Amino acid sequence: MNNQAIVSVSDLHKTYGGKNEKQYEALKGINFDVQPGEFVGIMGASGSGKTTLLNMLATLDRPTSGSVKINDQDVTKLKGNKIADFRANEIGFIFQDFNLLETLTAEENIALPLSLQGVRRSAINQAVNAVATTLSIEDLLKKYPTELSGGQKQRVAAARAIVHKPALLLGDEPTGALDSNSARELLELLTDINQKQGVSVLLVTHDPFSASFCDRILFIKDGVIGQELKRNGDSRTEFYQNILEKLGTFEQ
Amino acid sequence: MLFRLALSNIKNRIRDYIVLLTGLVMSSAIFYMFANLATNEDFIKTNASFKFAVPVFYFGEVLLAIITFIYVMYANSFLLNMRLHDYGLFMMLGAKKRRVGSLMVLETLTVGVIATALGLVLGVALTGGISGLLFDHLGIVLHHFNPFYLKALLTTVLLYLILFVIAAIFNLQSLIRTPVLKLLNQTDSVDKIKVRGFGLFFSGILGVVLVGIGYYVLHEIVVFQLMAIPIALVTIVLGSYLIFRSSMTLIIHWLKGTGWARHKLNNFTLSQIMFRIRDYTKILTITSLLFALALGAITVGSGFNRQIDWMAKMSSSYTLAVNNPTTQEQKLMTQLTGTKIVSYDQKFVGKNVIYNEDQFVQNPFMVVKYEKAKDGTVKAPKTVPISVQKLKSDVNDQLDFLGLAGRTGVEPSFQKTNQFNQINANNNSVSVITVKNIGVNRDVLTKLNNLQNKAHPQESISGIGVGSFQAYLVISSMYGGLEFIGYFLGIAFLAMLASCLMFKILSGTRQDAIRYNLLSKVGTRRSLLRQSINREIFVLFAVPGILGIVDVLFGLQMFKPILDKPYYNIQYPILIFIGLYLIYYFLTTWLYKLIVLPKKKK
Repeated sequence: MNNQAIVSVSDLHKTYGGKNEKQYEALKGINFDVQPGEFVGIMGASGSGKTTLLNMLATLDRPTSGSVKINDQDVTKLKGNKIADFRANEIGFIFQDFNLLETLTAEENIALPLSLQGVRRSAINQAVNAVATTLSIEDLLKKYPTELSGGQKQRVAAARAIVHKPALLLGDEPTGALDSNSARELLELLTDINQKQGVSVLLVTHDPFSASFCDRILFIKDGVIGQELKRNGDSRTEFYQNILEKLGTFEQ
Repeated sequence: MLFRLALSNIKNRIRDYIVLLTGLVMSSAIFYMFANLATNEDFIKTNASFKFAVPVFYFGEVLLAIITFIYVMYANSFLLNMRLHDYGLFMMLGAKKRRVGSLMVLETLTVGVIATALGLVLGVALTGGISGLLFDHLGIVLHHFNPFYLKALLTTVLLYLILFVIAAIFNLQSLIRTPVLKLLNQTDSVDKIKVRGFGLFFSGILGVVLVGIGYYVLHEIVVFQLMAIPIALVTIVLGSYLIFRSSMTLIIHWLKGTGWARHKLNNFTLSQIMFRIRDYTKILTITSLLFALALGAITVGSGFNRQIDWMAKMSSSYTLAVNNPTTQEQKLMTQLTGTKIVSYDQKFVGKNVIYNEDQFVQNPFMVVKYEKAKDGTVKAPKTVPISVQKLKSDVNDQLDFLGLAGRTGVEPSFQKTNQFNQINANNNSVSVITVKNIGVNRDVLTKLNNLQNKAHPQESISGIGVGSFQAYLVISSMYGGLEFIGYFLGIAFLAMLASCLMFKILSGTRQDAIRYNLLSKVGTRRSLLRQSINREIFVLFAVPGILGIVDVLFGLQMFKPILDKPYYNIQYPILIFIGLYLIYYFLTTWLYKLIVLPKKKK
């Protein structure tokens, strides 16, 4: 199974602080795999190391030791332009605060990853329209981010994250800034993307409701993965209850 | 307590405060530089001998005050944005609005006082340094000029005091009107750009018409006299503003529709410029105007410089005649550049000076030939050889030739070599020096001239007519002041314009840093980010630069009555200016990248 995994993390350590500073170990040896087409959640309280882990996966930060393989490529070894190209081609991001460029319209924001890859204009237009139809945001394309609601912004951000058909979609608390209706819609959308387009999704959250949409949840605490919870075909509500129970014991 | 909080805030945001203070210090220093000339009527009257001089400086002062006002307002909103969040926090913690308001006024005024004080010190130093450099370079002596001039100092202090009080009142107003919650959650919202084709087109046309009117009155300055300057100022400023607003928006809008926009970061760059242009319209208008003023001042300054050489050359066919050159003088002569030296033998017999005719056949004497062009203006003087016969026949009209004797009251005559050698008299000689550029050789020529005057003190001939260097000295004392004013103001305006534009661009880095960081997160190569920044700032520099050059090309019409050929060799000042401007461009992009690009990982 291991060599087929889309994400393979082994013995990942991260220590902050220089030689003469106070050292702080954020990750203390993390191991896990994500299979193609899987929807995985990573849960943990503030300070548990989940954001650090996501930054490693997204090549935004370098580990102290250990390796992160995405699509059989050790991303910790990448440098300079290779990092940029890897981000542009292999992964899509959805952030808590949307991170849309407010100087560009929704359409231009979505087109950005393709423009960066040098895709032809007609192909870009086609892809943008296709993804907009899938996410039902055709009406929003000509608008600037400031004219959109939080939920709409996050849909546009999701469209930008998947328009270039990445191998992996990373979400960092994507529902964190949304009201409950928008949050539910977005999570359904992510599930849809995951199931219909076969994109692997890795979601970092501390919100049990968001987590209940995943197939599998890794609980992280003090820099190590403490427990794992699988959905095993349960309904979402049942899974939600399981998560709440697990959290109740895990965080004690 | 609040005061201590404010102090600790300055410590934390020292970089922002440095940017803010540098900008303000530069502005007050430059205002002082200008005021030093502008408020000094004695100086203007003695050195600028054209009739518009005093009002031109007066208008210049008003214009610079307006520019400074806008500049201070920008700086102030920069300061306010930096502090609003903290003010909100203070109020949330229970500070009264009045208390926070007085703190804000105090802060604004403190920044103003510090900036003005530092600016004045820098201004005096700059005035001293630049004028010293220019005096050295131009070789002129000016009267009534002093780097430290009390009237200018007081004018600057007064203006800045008024400006900062106004700024403080503005700040207070916006603080009182803004609810605490909004102060705390200040986000940078970007207004949507509505492109109304017709309206933009109309305002663009209006802009072109206004600028056209401005150019027309400058061209017809003889008709409009003094009114031309305020009319041109208003129409050109307003016109440039409208042109920036409409044409840039339309062009970018059109470009965004093309396939080119979809390539790499082009669309992002275009959008950045589009939002900038709207936000920057005022500053770009100012920049283009300052660019025009600076370039105009330098062009006119170098115009006067050329005028000196040109008029001097018109007075005589040679630069300097050296009688019986000593070894020291001969050594000096070798140091001249672009020279032609011809030597003639002389023998003095009684009241006569006798020359060897054959030497004049071999190396004919040169005289100035005046020609009128078809349109009636005087053409550049030409020197042409004159035959010995002609020289003999109207010898008394050839002042240049008479001057070769080095003494007055002698009658020149010619003999063939044989007869010349048989004349029983001491062998004398005169070296006739002609240099291409008198200004470049000024120092050596001055030494030669002084040595000659010492060697032949009683025979020093008064005034013009014995070598163009004499004329050069006379004319440069007349025009030197204007030349100095031109260069001095050019440098002052350039510094003002560059610091205006640089300050405005750098003050927007906070929002931009977020955007570039985001682009890097979604996988944009660093080289692409750099390219985008270079292009964006290039457009922001180039657009006002181009409009400024056009302004100058038309504005020089104004100098037609006082300058012989305002457009002669205009490419050189323009090229020099572009060079200086480019240095500012590179400095700005470098600083900008330093601030906005995400740090490289080790």
